[in-house]
Amino acid sequence: MIAMEGLRKTFESGRGRKARRVVAVDGMSLHARDGAITGLLGPNGAGKTTSLRMLVGLVTPDEGRIVVDGIALADDPQGVRARLGVLSDARGLYPRLTARENIVYHGQLHGLPAAAAHARCDELARLLDMQPLLERRTDGFSQGERMKTALARALVHDPANIVLDEPTNGLDVVATRALRDALRRLRDDTGKCIVFSTHIMQEVERLCDRVIVVAHGRRVAEGTVAELCALAGTDDFEDAFVRLAFAAPETIA
Amino acid sequence: MIWRTLWTVFAKELRDALRDRRTLMVVFFTSVAIGPLTLVMLSTLIDKFEKRAEAREIVVVGLDRAPTLRNFLERQTYAIRPAPPDWEAQLRESTLGDPVVIVPADFEDVLAHGEAPVVQLVYSSANARAQSGVGRIEHVLQGLSQEHATLRLVARGVSPSLLNVLQVDEHDVADNAARAAQLTGMLPYFVLMAMLYGALNAALDTTAGERERGSLEPLLATPAARGALVVGKWGAVLAVALLIAVLSCLSFLPAQKLLRSESLAALFRFGAGEAAAFVALLAPLAAALSATMMAIAIRCKTFKEAQAGNSVVVLSVSLLPMIGLFGQEGEAAWHRWVPGLSQTTLMTRVLKGSPIGLPDVLPGVLVCVAIAAAALLAVDRQLVRRAAQ
Repeated sequence: MIAMEGLRKTFESGRGRKARRVVAVDGMSLHARDGAITGLLGPNGAGKTTSLRMLVGLVTPDEGRIVVDGIALADDPQGVRARLGVLSDARGLYPRLTARENIVYHGQLHGLPAAAAHARCDELARLLDMQPLLERRTDGFSQGERMKTALARALVHDPANIVLDEPTNGLDVVATRALRDALRRLRDDTGKCIVFSTHIMQEVERLCDRVIVVAHGRRVAEGTVAELCALAGTDDFEDAFVRLAFAAPETIA
Repeated sequence: MIWRTLWTVFAKELRDALRDRRTLMVVFFTSVAIGPLTLVMLSTLIDKFEKRAEAREIVVVGLDRAPTLRNFLERQTYAIRPAPPDWEAQLRESTLGDPVVIVPADFEDVLAHGEAPVVQLVYSSANARAQSGVGRIEHVLQGLSQEHATLRLVARGVSPSLLNVLQVDEHDVADNAARAAQLTGMLPYFVLMAMLYGALNAALDTTAGERERGSLEPLLATPAARGALVVGKWGAVLAVALLIAVLSCLSFLPAQKLLRSESLAALFRFGAGEAAAFVALLAPLAAALSATMMAIAIRCKTFKEAQAGNSVVVLSVSLLPMIGLFGQEGEAAWHRWVPGLSQTTLMTRVLKGSPIGLPDVLPGVLVCVAIAAAALLAVDRQLVRRAAQ
């Protein structure tokens, strides 16, 4: 379970006269339950990535509270990170290490003994269909192979909550389908809480149980795909999204 | 848990650095191999000088006009070589490696009249080989002068000792090791530079490289203690630096066998003990440099930017030992407090075989430890801030 309440973050750029204040996140709230895939849908620059970075503790919010499985981030950031599996926007691998070494390294950083990390690595390789990649150095990997390795790395400690920031970026159809299948299995077989940020409609329609529409750094609407269509008064989800996300903020509030 | 994280990070970074074969090869050839090569080349040069000094050769123009001089030179067992016709040009171009003696046409005549004939000794101060022989040839010619003067005084019934108001007796207080250290003074510098370049790549790769690849953010999303990440990374960089330093020191051991100059080989004092002392003296400096380079590199988004940022460190570490190398006034007390200079000074002392006490080592170590601690704190602070940029 992931809960964010009233998150606010302002970045300052430049100095002196050129100083500018950019409000990246402005009162963002989110509740994601276990056994469900929650989609975070918003246009570019809506504050999705910053919100997810606040969740991991890479960016400290100016205001607001983050609680994961009953643990407040402010009280126990390491406890929160231990319960999260994050596939962030940056998903760089170590090119001189094999896929297995990349995955096991993170497993050990999560406190798994080496043997357990290797066992988890084999298990994830089966789930993500990437056994042939394991012993290869990641240097020449394709986008899809990189994504699978990065996802396996994020899931190596079998976290109860999975956070994915635009995971399908740069993936082809086959790789995207494989990822979707893997996420469904994680939800149905093990009851994970999955948060999934994207700006692609189809992803959300096909995968998400609940959708949170983010714009201007805050939640502007929430519900199932059908509920959101009804709210916007249209049958087409894309139309609904455009109306909800790009409407003047005050008309929805 | 912190210790396990530390070990995990250290082991991974070290493995990663050692797999970077291409960089390691470049470091090896530019830093580790260059020292012994220079040493062997230097010894070949010295060998030539020594051979020349032993050769007892003299190059003369117009010796047939001076049988007295020829007789004297032959009695001194000197081999006489006539000068080539273009000797002046050859001297200028450094193709002739001996000074040239020019005997005037009226040598015997002037000598017979009891006057002093003028013998010219021609060399070029831009020609190091020829210049090195000047003192030796002058000494021989003075010998003839001395011989004739003595005969003349004796003929007049005067004791030659009357002319020797003063006797000069030379004593050289430098022992063999100290004399050799003049030549082997470059050694600490080579080892220091090898270590610096070895550490540079590893330090940049674990910080700016990690940002450039986009692997820093996932790393910080793990619950691993950030301090353990920083110290583990630093430990790996330090290990690479020391490994290169050890290799560099060891490379001088076989290089000694290749020394051409026998006297230099006999004087050269660099065994396993000296190598160990070098590494021990360099360890605190390696710790400080690794941390400093990491602290600069973590602020940079790319490897390239970090290289530019660290060129200040590289430059100052390469220039500081020069103060000791070229300084004529000897060691000053403040040298001990300057990182880089302090270590090269002490390594030179190891080569000279002079004793090193705790007060000599301590200031350098303290400064290095302080720098390392400050730089690591800076890395720790910047790590999270920079990851999200």
